[in-house]
Amino acid sequence: MSIRIALAGNPNSGKTTLFNALTGSNQFVGNWPGVTVEKKEGRLKNHKDVVIMDLPGIYSLSPYTLEEVVTRNYLMNERPDAILNIVDGTNIERNLYLSTQLMELGIPVIMAINMMDAVEKNGDRIHLDKLSKKLGCEVVPISALKGTGIIQAAEKAIKLAEEKKATPAVHSFSPQVDSVLNRIEVKIGSQIPDEQKRFFAIKLLERDEKIEAQMKQVPDISAEIELIEAEMEDDTESIITNDRYLYISSIIKECYTKKSRGKLSNSDRIDQVITNRWLALPIFMAIMFIVYYVSVTSVGTIATDWANDGVFGDGWHLFGIEAIWIPGIPVLIENVLNAIGCAAWLQGLILDGMVAGVGAVLGFVPQMLILFAFLAFLEACGYMARVAFIMDRIFRKFGLSGKSFIPMLIGSGCGVPGIMASRTIENDRDRKMTIMTTTFIPCGAKLPIIALIAGAIFHGAWWVAPSAYFVGISAIICSGIILKKTKMFAGDTAPFVMELPSYHMPTLRNILASMWERGLSFIKKAGTIILLSTIFVWFTENFGFTNGSIGMVEDMNDSILAVIGSMLAFLFAPLGWGDWKSAVAAITGLIAKENVVGTFGILFGFGEVTENGSQIWGSLAGNMTAAAAYSFLVFNLLCAPCFAAMGAIKREMNNVKWFWIAIGYQTGLAYVVSLCIYQIVTLITTGNFGIGALVAFVLVAGLCYLIFRPYKQNQ
Amino acid sequence: MGTAITGIVILIIIALIISSMVKSKRNGKSIQCGNDCKHCGGHCNH
Repeated sequence: MSIRIALAGNPNSGKTTLFNALTGSNQFVGNWPGVTVEKKEGRLKNHKDVVIMDLPGIYSLSPYTLEEVVTRNYLMNERPDAILNIVDGTNIERNLYLSTQLMELGIPVIMAINMMDAVEKNGDRIHLDKLSKKLGCEVVPISALKGTGIIQAAEKAIKLAEEKKATPAVHSFSPQVDSVLNRIEVKIGSQIPDEQKRFFAIKLLERDEKIEAQMKQVPDISAEIELIEAEMEDDTESIITNDRYLYISSIIKECYTKKSRGKLSNSDRIDQVITNRWLALPIFMAIMFIVYYVSVTSVGTIATDWANDGVFGDGWHLFGIEAIWIPGIPVLIENVLNAIGCAAWLQGLILDGMVAGVGAVLGFVPQMLILFAFLAFLEACGYMARVAFIMDRIFRKFGLSGKSFIPMLIGSGCGVPGIMASRTIENDRDRKMTIMTTTFIPCGAKLPIIALIAGAIFHGAWWVAPSAYFVGISAIICSGIILKKTKMFAGDTAPFVMELPSYHMPTLRNILASMWERGLSFIKKAGTIILLSTIFVWFTENFGFTNGSIGMVEDMNDSILAVIGSMLAFLFAPLGWGDWKSAVAAITGLIAKENVVGTFGILFGFGEVTENGSQIWGSLAGNMTAAAAYSFLVFNLLCAPCFAAMGAIKREMNNVKWFWIAIGYQTGLAYVVSLCIYQIVTLITTGNFGIGALVAFVLVAGLCYLIFRPYKQNQ
Repeated sequence: MGTAITGIVILIIIALIISSMVKSKRNGKSIQCGNDCKHCGGHCNH
């Protein structure tokens, strides 16, 4: 029989860091709430019979959001053998609120005060022995990040679990509340075990409906509620909260010595500039501009040129030494295939299909790695948490809360976890709206499309890559305004409470590890779903119906892919890219967004590089105008995401109608914005005013109306 | 002969990819999101 130890604590208290250290797992750690929205299980290193459960962070056992429900339900229904309560030592007062509740559950509890290194660095002191005595449970100091004290904490938790002795709740409420709770406990009777009666009594007094639903017989305690509310002139939930904080304050007074009370910390000083009312947004825009400019346009381009022209092209001179020539992968494979006498059609499949498609995608890995390194640095140093705070000010004006920005931050890596992170939003309307808009932020898989368009059509122009990010942000803000003014989404904006972690310099190892993890998953994807897609694209591009039978075709325009693409291409003609190749590329992007580049790689003959190794870019540039290319980029950024993200939308919406509303809205908005961009830019550059431009102006007027029309509160 | 060997190798690669994807799917992982579970806030096995 295995021992189950649950890690419970406030959001951002270091649970997942501890979980990773104890189990050797590699779960994502972020310094904002909502990183963990599902419980995760792992086995304690060197103790195969001990299961560690990482639970989403909660501030109390009165859940408001979906992931908080996950934690409470696990603790109440699954009842682990012990709870390892992680407390952020730098924010001990607020963290103890949950601790007092955990001790009422009748489960053995051990407290681990995390971030003790930071506490000591600040010159503060936590008197652990006194704290332990006051709380009635063992208290151990740890630093999950540095790994100090964690083994001792885990071993003590195992010992406690083996003893099966519930931690008694030693904290007390005011005499009036205590007496009412005792009466409720009597009324509860024998349906609840003795050690859990106090917890149920408190929750019943707080009118917790979810607890009532878990009881076979709900006792009538209206008289007790009336009595205490009249006596203390407050509602019962507030009375309990106040009593808890009074108790916690009394503990803090005795057990915590703060050295620099009232003084500004270094983080506070940095925040005076970074989160300044006027400077915050320009600083954020400048940082994101630099991130995208460096990763896609300047440094990234050099690395990608080497990957595209060298590794997946003719070859390259090692370290630039003329005498040492390393042939590219297509050249090597072609030589091998020629040597073994492989048939031309199979060579075509391998070189023009698989190598061209996967190579076109993998060629952008260097740019992605640089972007991932930047994002990892911004996340780990604490800046991205500030961005949510900064965006809250802006989002709030448009009906969205800063909470909606957290999924978008996570979505910059991959849309799937971004969509799942929307669970932290308690308001259902805001949650739905966030799910609908999260994938507007360019995820890692969209980066190759951005890089391809920026490089192929705009010759590495400085503004293209950063503008893709800001198009995403603008689409979110405009969607927030438009949707909030509809009946479906009208309502008050949810409050946003978030702790800002202290700034710190992340370690190079952590940044490189995060960058590599994300990059590796991208490479793995190229070797599976992308590779299969390229085979499919190559076959449908080379086979077609000729003289009544299916066979290889000489002209690509007679292929099955061309027939299918041509049937759909007219839809995209108003967007400026009504040729079947672009239509097919956009549609294959639904399987995975990298497929857009992979498909272009096959259709524009990436395998057949010219002397300067830039065949795909040259061919693509000849196929699209600048306006059409930017329209293509915007469409692919904003339209329905890949199937994996669509699946996540369907799961999180939990409603087919809402799923289709989300997909329809995303695709519709992408279509309208791309059409307007193409038609208006074409009008400006060529001076030709046609029906397309007229439609674009009508659509712009319609969008302006939806954005600026007066707001009516939903009745 | 070269064509047959190359064809078999390609078929084996395709079979391995498909079996790994089926395995991932059975293990509750998404086959399209790159199995980037480390960065994912939740699991796919709902």
